[in-house]
Amino acid sequence: MSQQQVQIVTVLKCLKCGYSIERPFREGDFVPKIDGTCPNDGSPLFIWGIYAKSNEQKK
Amino acid sequence: MNTIVFAQTGGTPSSGLSDLAFLAYLGMILVIILMSLPGFQQRMYIYFAAREIENGLLKIEKALNSAKSKTKQLLEQQGAKNADELTKRFAEMFTIDPVNVEPTDIISRMRLLIRTSEDKVKNIIMSTLPNVDPVTRSKIEVSAEIVNALNMLHKVIRHYLLLGKKMQSYFILIQLQSILPMLVKMAEAYEKAQDTFIKGVPVGDSLGPLVASRFLMNIPEKWSPSKEMIAGETIIDGRKVIVLKAEGPMATVGTPGEAVENVVNKLEGKVNRIITVDAAAKLEGEETGEIAEGTGVAMGDPGPEKIAIERVAVKYNIPIDAVIVKMSLEEAITAMPQKVYEAADKVIEIVKRIINERTKPGDTVIVIGVGNTVGVAQ
Repeated sequence: MSQQQVQIVTVLKCLKCGYSIERPFREGDFVPKIDGTCPNDGSPLFIWGIYAKSNEQKK
Repeated sequence: MNTIVFAQTGGTPSSGLSDLAFLAYLGMILVIILMSLPGFQQRMYIYFAAREIENGLLKIEKALNSAKSKTKQLLEQQGAKNADELTKRFAEMFTIDPVNVEPTDIISRMRLLIRTSEDKVKNIIMSTLPNVDPVTRSKIEVSAEIVNALNMLHKVIRHYLLLGKKMQSYFILIQLQSILPMLVKMAEAYEKAQDTFIKGVPVGDSLGPLVASRFLMNIPEKWSPSKEMIAGETIIDGRKVIVLKAEGPMATVGTPGEAVENVVNKLEGKVNRIITVDAAAKLEGEETGEIAEGTGVAMGDPGPEKIAIERVAVKYNIPIDAVIVKMSLEEAITAMPQKVYEAADKVIEIVKRIINERTKPGDTVIVIGVGNTVGVAQ
């Protein structure tokens, strides 16, 4: 039997260098809100997407 | 006589077995007699069908109560003093279908009724909570719609269950019993959807707005072509591309039909292609996130918005393309699945390919990201 565990994640992306990172979704997040700066070049990090990451786990 | 025989043989183990066998025979004969009585089988079927429907109805009632309590909580958080009364008002609201025996102007009548209904909910919220921000207002609006839909579902199922029992009609109950699992699934999906909308998480149906936002995010000048819609202009491979979507990150689908109509009329019909992008219901066996290309307006609208695009396209002879991403009903109204999110970038490439293949440099193209834009701005 498998159980679906859903975790909502927010994807942040730097449009200049392509740097991308994921973190858990926080209320107030929306696409394409600016949320911090890129650690590589200091450009703004945009919220690129918010989605439900599903991990099928065997019970 | 039998009693004496039982009493005489009651002490041995073999006699216990024969007693049981005798009772089993007796039971079987009783069942055969009962089954041969006219109407007994039907009453049994009615009993079991009604039991199953009652169980399903309980699940729907649970979803309804949960949706009501979340709506009340949301209203109370914003400072509404009559949250209970408001939730009841939302639950009992209805819209009467326009007369369809005379189809002339049915679309404009339908549009009027839909807009009146939407505005009514909005006005009630605004008069109760005048300082509420647009994002929270849209969350309350969606919650009101969910409470209303679940209440209607619950009432209709209860009506047919009671009617079936009252009329002793197996045929009413069996029809209800056969569709009940789908209705329960739908109710549970609505319940989950409310949590998603309240948190402001994009849903599967936000795929169209997500694609449009990728184009719009680099356009500094945007305008509103119609109610709750946003538009921007960009250049892709020498073509002028006007991108449209509902205004986010509020939970709204906007008025995409009217927006396209206004944009095309403003350009005096000088539009070479209209491309619609939307989420679409998948068939059982199809994969979530599958992309398909087609012709026509990709839009799950009751009519007025879709026909507005078709009419303006026919007026100026503009071809319409559709790009859809497949998902289930539940996925369309709950948090966007990973496969749908991953499909968004592929859809952008398909839209660019369509523009390249089917238009020439200097042409004008309209791209519409159709769907609920919760959690997706521009």
